[in-house]
Order: sequence, then C-alpha cells, then structure tokens
Amino acid sequence: MRTLALIGLVCGVSVHALCAQVTANVEAGITDVQYDGFLASGAASISPTMRWQHPGGRGFFSARGTYLQFQSGRRSIDGSANGSWITPLARHWRGELGAAAGASDYANIASFSHGQVDARLHLMDEDRGGWIAATMGRSSFGGEARPVTVVAVGMWLLRTDKTMFVSVDRSFIGDTAYTDLRSSARWRRDRIVLEGVVGARVWSSGGGRGVFGEGSATLTIGRQAALVFSAGRYPTDVVSGSLAGRYVTAAVRLGRITVRTPATPVLSGNSRASESHSSPSATDARLEIETRRDDDVRLTVYTPGATVVEISGDFTDWRPVALSRSPTTADAWVASLRIPRGIHRINVRRDGGPWMAPGGTTRSADDYDGEVGVFILP
Amino acid sequence: MILAALLLVTQVAAQDPRLERLDPDTRSAVVAVLDSARDVGLPVESIIQRALEGATKGASGARIVAAVRRLAVDLGAARGALGTSAAAPELEAAVAALRAGATPEVLAHLRNVRRPPLTMALSVLADLVASGVPADSAAAAVLALAPKARDADLVEFRRAVERDIALGAPPGAATSVRLNAGALDVYGANSGATNNANNPRPRSRP
Repeated sequence: MRTLALIGLVCGVSVHALCAQVTANVEAGITDVQYDGFLASGAASISPTMRWQHPGGRGFFSARGTYLQFQSGRRSIDGSANGSWITPLARHWRGELGAAAGASDYANIASFSHGQVDARLHLMDEDRGGWIAATMGRSSFGGEARPVTVVAVGMWLLRTDKTMFVSVDRSFIGDTAYTDLRSSARWRRDRIVLEGVVGARVWSSGGGRGVFGEGSATLTIGRQAALVFSAGRYPTDVVSGSLAGRYVTAAVRLGRITVRTPATPVLSGNSRASESHSSPSATDARLEIETRRDDDVRLTVYTPGATVVEISGDFTDWRPVALSRSPTTADAWVASLRIPRGIHRINVRRDGGPWMAPGGTTRSADDYDGEVGVFILP
Repeated sequence: MILAALLLVTQVAAQDPRLERLDPDTRSAVVAVLDSARDVGLPVESIIQRALEGATKGASGARIVAAVRRLAVDLGAARGALGTSAAAPELEAAVAALRAGATPEVLAHLRNVRRPPLTMALSVLADLVASGVPADSAAAAVLALAPKARDADLVEFRRAVERDIALGAPPGAATSVRLNAGALDVYGANSGATNNANNPRPRSRP
C-alpha cells in the first residue's frame, strides 16, 4: 500500500491541479481470504478512506479503516493513517518527511500498533525520479514494543497513462529482518484503473520469504461509484501485524471518485497563478478544455456543490451560457461550443453568484474590478 | 442635431447589433473609440468584446468607456512594437504581455528573432509573469528560446517552470534553472527544430 500511495503521490504531483483537495469514500465488499497457516474463509468488509492532498502537490494525508467480519463469526478491525510533506531542496532535489501510525485488533485475541516517521530524498525530473529513504519507529504486539528501522531505495517512471515503480527496502523489526524487492505499475484509461505489484522477499530472518503479487482493477460506474476487483498474495507485514495470505475481493466503492481523464493538451493558462491569489475562486471552479475537430471545443468546468453553472466569454459575445451537468463525472459541467483558435477570455459563474476566473486559465485583472481567465487554443 | 446623433448611433448599432446591449451614451462613446481604432488600422473585435464584457459584468458606462479606450491605446502600443503586419491575436497577446510588465523593446526583439505568429510566445511570456516570474527574467527566457523553439516547446517550458513553482521553487529561480539545465537543447533552441506547432514532442504527463 505504501508503494501505491507513493505512486499516487507521484501522480498527484504531476496532475495536482486536477485531483487536489479532499476525497473520501467507503468500500464495501466480500472477500475470500486464506492466511498462511489457516483455512480459507469468506469475509465481508467495509473500509472508509479519506485522503487530503495539497493543491500544489506538496503533500498528502490519508486515513483508512477496515472492518472484517469472517464467516466464523470472528472479526478484525484496523485503522491506519499516514501523511507526507515535500519541500524543494535544490534544483531537482526534493525532501520529504512522512509519518504513519496504525493499530489492529483480531477477535480480541491479537492486537498490534505501530508508529513511524520517515525521511526521503527525491531526485525528480519531468517524467522520472528516484529516492532514498530511512524510516524509524516502534511496533507493538500486545504490550511489547520493538524498534523499527527501514532503509529503501526506489525509482519511478511516468508515461502518458502509465506509472512504473521499482524499489528495494530492508526492514529491521526487533530481531526480524528481511528485504523486499518490489515492482509495481499503474495504468489508467477512461474509467478503468489497473494496478499491479509483484515482488519477492529475500534475505529474511523471521519475516518469511517467497514471491508475492497483487492486482486490482477499478471501474468507475457512476458519478460517485466504482467497482473494485482485486486479488493476489501479499507478504507478512511485521510492522503493522498483517499476516501473509492470499485473497480475492469484489467491492463497491461509494463516494468521491477521483479518477479523471486529463483533457487533450491545450494551452489553458496555469493553475499555479490561480493558486497564488487570495481569492477562493480558483478552488471553486476549474476549467478543462478539449479540442475536437475544426472549431468544436468541449469545455468542462469542475465545481463541487453547484446547482447552476454558467460561462461567459468572448466566444459567446459575453452572453451567459448555461452548462449541462456531466452524466458521468461528479461535479463536472460541460458544453460544446465553436471556438476559433486564438486567445480567449472567459468567466464562470455558479448559482448566479459573481463571475470568476476559473482555475486552469491564466487569471488577470479584467478592467472591471474583477478577474478574467485567459486561455489559448493553439 | 439630436436627430442626426440618434441616426448615427442607430446606424452604427445596426452595423453591429451586439452593441445594442450598451446604453446609448456608452454605445456612442464606444463607437467613437471603434471608429478611431479602425481609422488607424487596429483590430476592433477585441474592443467590442471588452465593451460587451463590461456590460455582462454590470460595469458602469464610464468604466466600459475607460476600458475600451485603454485597450485601444494598448493595442496601438503593441502594434508599434510588433509592426503593422501583426495579426489581431498577436496584438491581443502582446497587450497581455505589456500589461504583465514586458517592455515594448522586448516585444520588438521577439519579433526580430522569431517567425510569426508570435501569439504563443507572447502568451507564454505573460503566463510566466502571472506565475510570479519577474518580468525581466520571463522576457529573457522567452527571448532565449524564441529563435528555434516550437510553440509546443514553449508550452512545455512554461509547464515545467510552473511545475517547479508548484513544488516550491522561487519563480525566478525555476525559470533560470529550466533554462540553464538543458532547456535550450531540450526545447529546440540548439537542436535545429523547426517552429512547427503541429508536431509536438511526445507528452509525458504534466
């Protein structure tokens, strides 16, 4: 999960303007799981998740809980939270400080808790990067706490709709020590996200050894719903107390779905400029522009909680045009207009409020004590 | 006299019915600005749009007239820097660059080192300044890239700078780093790439 979380952060840095802020969802599913040394068991699960991401991609905070009800009648509950903050150091170098904590309890028989802090040094380029990391903390099984130390090194690579990731980490938890080699990939297109992890645990003393692999497919089926299918085998996590096992899960995810497809590359101003202003308008509405054929342009405005969204611009002779609510994407409002190539000015209004410059455009003063968004169709 | 004025206004409004959204006094003043601009060969569509923008935003007539006059002046300054052959989109982009802090000398220099259209280069310049890059640094960067970088390369450059800024780099430093860290090669200034916006480099995720 840490691997996928970091991939998410990497993606978040890249597309920060699209998927910033808070997202939350609840996942309910059924699973068939076989922990090492146990018989296979069916279980029902429910997992609420919340994630906050800095609009500029500087960091994130994530919290997740899981309640499992096994067919035996026993139950398991766990909760965890982690967060990171990234700061620039020099040129391509970034520093990251993170913290994580969690606790779990199985049938009032076994309980774990852990807390750890980690520091990472990133070397980042446009579409690739690497890092080294050190983690220190404590892990407790019942009342006994053991020191945790992890050192890791990894690399990532971004391609248009794919993210690839390789890492090696060496963990020391009390007398237990092991090395995980891990490679993962993420592919996204339209409503589908595929993620996979393969790895091997080697040079292990008390942590088990062998290969592992997990895969998941997420299919967005509505404005706030998705189907999630996942399966695989994962290794023992001595820090958090999860036992190695294999599983197959089908679940429904309800809540804010953050899978969005970026628009066709179009020069549409910059979001950073928007964020640098004190006005809240940039976070109230964000514009995406997709050129189709000829002068046919699809405008999409993301603005949460609105009931009416209008745009006005030089391509409408500054007459307000009401947008239609997107049937597929939450908080999205769309219109297809004929807009000639060139430089254009636009404002957005929600629920009859003031005209504002949407994020995704270059905001500038409008001569009328307000702001206007400027974009170019190349 | 009153009748003649009314006839004149009615005639102009009939030529461009969009201006009927303005009150008669404002419309008359805007038409005068349009006529003056037309007389000296400036594009008038952006001036009309600026007036309509004011009407939609409920601005007073005085504010609308002041806005269109200021725009006409700026368009004139832009044309003075770019030359009489500059197209309307180039002039509009140049106005944005001038208002962002670029000097007419920078615009003239850009005209001399880059083949038209200059719309994208001027817009990137204005965008960089809007991102917080000092105007002189932004101008120096765009001028350095302008001779051979394609439009798509300029957009890439701007995005790279914005990404560094988003990650916390000071805007001026981000521009300098991107420019000095191989940008001239990467974005075509030293690579002999042609200014072909229809053939952009493969995009990675922004």
